[in-house]
Amino acid sequence: MADTKDLVLEVHGLKTNFYTYEGVVKALDGVELFLRRGDTMGLVGETGCGKSVTARSILRLVEPPGRVEEGEILFREIDPKTGEVNAVDILQLDEDEMLHIRGGKIAIVFQDPSTFPNPVFRIGDQIAEVILLHQDMKHDVLEMKINKLERILNMNPPPVNVSEIVAHLEQLRSMRGNPPEPDEKAKKKAAKWRAIEMLKLVRMPSPESVVNQYPHELSGGMRQRALIAMALACNPSILICDEATTALDVTVQAQVLNLLNQLKKEIGTSIIIITHDMGVVAETCNWVAVMYAGTTVETCATDELFANPLHPYTEGLLHAVPKLHEERERLPQIPGSVPNLIHPPSGCRFHPRCDFATEICKTEKPKLEEVQPDHWVACHHPRI
Amino acid sequence: MTESEYLVETRGLKKYFPLTGGVFRKVIGKVHAVDGVDLHIRRGETLGVVGESGCGKTTLGRTILRLLEPTEGEIWFDGKNITDVKGKDLRHIRRQMQIVFQDPMASLNPRITIKNSVGEPLVVNGIARGPKMRKMVLELLEKVGLTEDHLNRFPHEFSGGQRQRICIARALALNPEFVVMDEPTSSTDVSVQAQTLNLMKDLQDELNLTYMFISHDLSVVKHMSDRIAVMYLGKIVELTPHDIFRYAQHPYTFALVSAVPIPDPRFAGKAQILSGEVPSPINPPPGCRFNPRCIFAQEVCKTQEPELRDVGDGHLVACHFAGTLDFGKSAQQEYAEATGSM
Ligand SMILES: Nc1ncnc2c1ncn2[C@@H]1O[C@H](COP(=O)(O)OP(=O)(O)OP(=O)(O)O)[C@@H](O)[C@H]1O
Ligand SMILES: Nc1ncnc2c1ncn2[C@@H]1O[C@H](COP(=O)(O)OP(=O)(O)OP(=O)(O)O)[C@@H](O)[C@H]1O
Ligand code: SF4
Ligand SMILES: [Mg+2]
Ligand SMILES: [Mg+2]
Repeated sequence: MADTKDLVLEVHGLKTNFYTYEGVVKALDGVELFLRRGDTMGLVGETGCGKSVTARSILRLVEPPGRVEEGEILFREIDPKTGEVNAVDILQLDEDEMLHIRGGKIAIVFQDPSTFPNPVFRIGDQIAEVILLHQDMKHDVLEMKINKLERILNMNPPPVNVSEIVAHLEQLRSMRGNPPEPDEKAKKKAAKWRAIEMLKLVRMPSPESVVNQYPHELSGGMRQRALIAMALACNPSILICDEATTALDVTVQAQVLNLLNQLKKEIGTSIIIITHDMGVVAETCNWVAVMYAGTTVETCATDELFANPLHPYTEGLLHAVPKLHEERERLPQIPGSVPNLIHPPSGCRFHPRCDFATEICKTEKPKLEEVQPDHWVACHHPRI
Repeated sequence: MTESEYLVETRGLKKYFPLTGGVFRKVIGKVHAVDGVDLHIRRGETLGVVGESGCGKTTLGRTILRLLEPTEGEIWFDGKNITDVKGKDLRHIRRQMQIVFQDPMASLNPRITIKNSVGEPLVVNGIARGPKMRKMVLELLEKVGLTEDHLNRFPHEFSGGQRQRICIARALALNPEFVVMDEPTSSTDVSVQAQTLNLMKDLQDELNLTYMFISHDLSVVKHMSDRIAVMYLGKIVELTPHDIFRYAQHPYTFALVSAVPIPDPRFAGKAQILSGEVPSPINPPPGCRFNPRCIFAQEVCKTQEPELRDVGDGHLVACHFAGTLDFGKSAQQEYAEATGSM
């Protein structure tokens, strides 16, 4: 594996349970993930396998009756001044420290676009609030002023006092290294301005009017874009998108995914994309983790996974991907049904549906191991 | 009266939303969400509806079901004009038309168990209650692949995909004739999606259902639909009984199919991204609405709005140059040929 310094996030042995009236739902049973700095990782697996619970556990957003029982979630940040790498175990932080991480350093866009934080506040105010909470606005206030003067200069016909404006502009530009502390009102205005800029980034139509609208006035895809804008507003180190582009049509989806990859280069964000769309994985992710019934069954580079899947479940998963042009009366399904996580199968949780299962698969849980260079599989009989 | 061939019909249907602004929320404009749609849906067929986010698909579905008041135009259902029906008649019609919403979480009450959520329409309409209701709900849940131990759980205890199936079960509770599926499988994985889609097809055959199927996933729409309507900024630009991956005739449709991500990393970056400013439904461009982004646009496209016309065997296209344009081959087509799935 790579030097641990390159890993911005490492998850080991993560277990999360839900204590329900019917019994204990063992939703996560030893999830393993590693995310390299600057990578885009796809997290895939069938409905109910624990992708969203994994994301929530990483942000410590699992609510009762759920509880993270065990594991380690290492988040490694580079100190911008010293260049040193500091590791913290998210599961050991107190709630105050967590507030600082959530939204600011690790941001998430949830699966359900109806989860807009607050239905009775305008889109723009909500994004601005997040910006104000996590960032000091010194640079933005200054940039906004510069931007305004630049626009005035470019007006047609030009303004009368050009030389004055140019002088003022020069003065403002010279303060870029060390901007002055703005007042509250200027901060708020700048935050709103940035909110519009963020909406433009995610290709929102008429962003200037959308900032003044309420969540229910937007279409499903527009709401999702607004949520992505909100998540990106704080330049997070890690961005988790839980099915964040599924409500987008293909053209906008392509634009947004492209944008994410571009931003990744610019601001050094690492991304986890939770998706069911193997096309999205192939197009945008360079690393993939496959989950089955609460465990990581395979993880490797995207090309490798498509060319050389080693876990029997992954094979089935890739086989079920609809080919774009195919004429088929019935779509292929993976036989068997999604396991009940209150009474999960013993040993390898996939064994009841697996064509290659033997005795050992029923009794012993396979460990995630590096069976080929940089290709990790949890299976007693990997398809080598 | 003879039974009309069409179950659902719209004539010049429009739905505008007021756009408010400023401190006093004054009306400053209109969102042309649906802007003159003429549709016919045959009995027992599935009409797929695709198009850019915000182009008006959900609004069209909701307006047809009379969940939103139309601004202009007519809606016909089963040979009757239902544009203005009210009260008891409206309730009666609503039982025959159901919708599965895009947002499963928003359409399920978080404090009500699955049994009561799915059973609610049965109770409200006096069809079943108590143990009989439980039995019917269980049958519905089993139809969508859920089990008895899900009955007494609450919506938040389910994954996104599971919640969507619950909504499908509920929509089917009243044995409707017409069902609008708004992104019914967008957050489920391919295998479960395949199960759900196969199931929806089975149910359609079994119960002679008519579907309007809204989705962003073009391969799914293609699989499910007898005909596909492509919407752009509140209007239908193409309506075709053919494979849109191969026989697109409108430049927008071609752009749409060319943007589909290809499930093969060897083709990464080959999908074509539609460029140009995202259009605004507040001030739709004059002439052909697609003209600012269209690579084939000529002068006439900026001034004259093209009509939706038949280019042969029921294939309708709203483009001045329909049938004369050469799009070349999309990366998706190349992929299909490379993988031998043509
Ligand atoms: N609050 C809860 N109470 C009980 N069980 C829960 C709760 N939340 C999640 N679960 C269970 O945990 C498992 C994992 O759910 P999760 O939402 O992570 O699935 P997912 O992989 O995101 O699926 P999808 O692709 O459908 O979104 C599921 O079996 C689900 O039923
Ligand atoms: N209640 C409302 N008030 C104001 N505007 C609305 C309302 N509902 C929808 N709109 C606007 O109408 C337009 C069409 O929205 P609609 O939800 O029909 O789009 P859609 O095609 O379903 O998009 P998506 O694929 O993103 O779900 C959008 O511009 C949206 O902002
Ligand atoms: S009418 Fe003109 S602008 Fe519109 S799609 Fe056809 S060629 Fe393009
Ligand atoms: Mg999920
Ligand atoms: Mg919609």
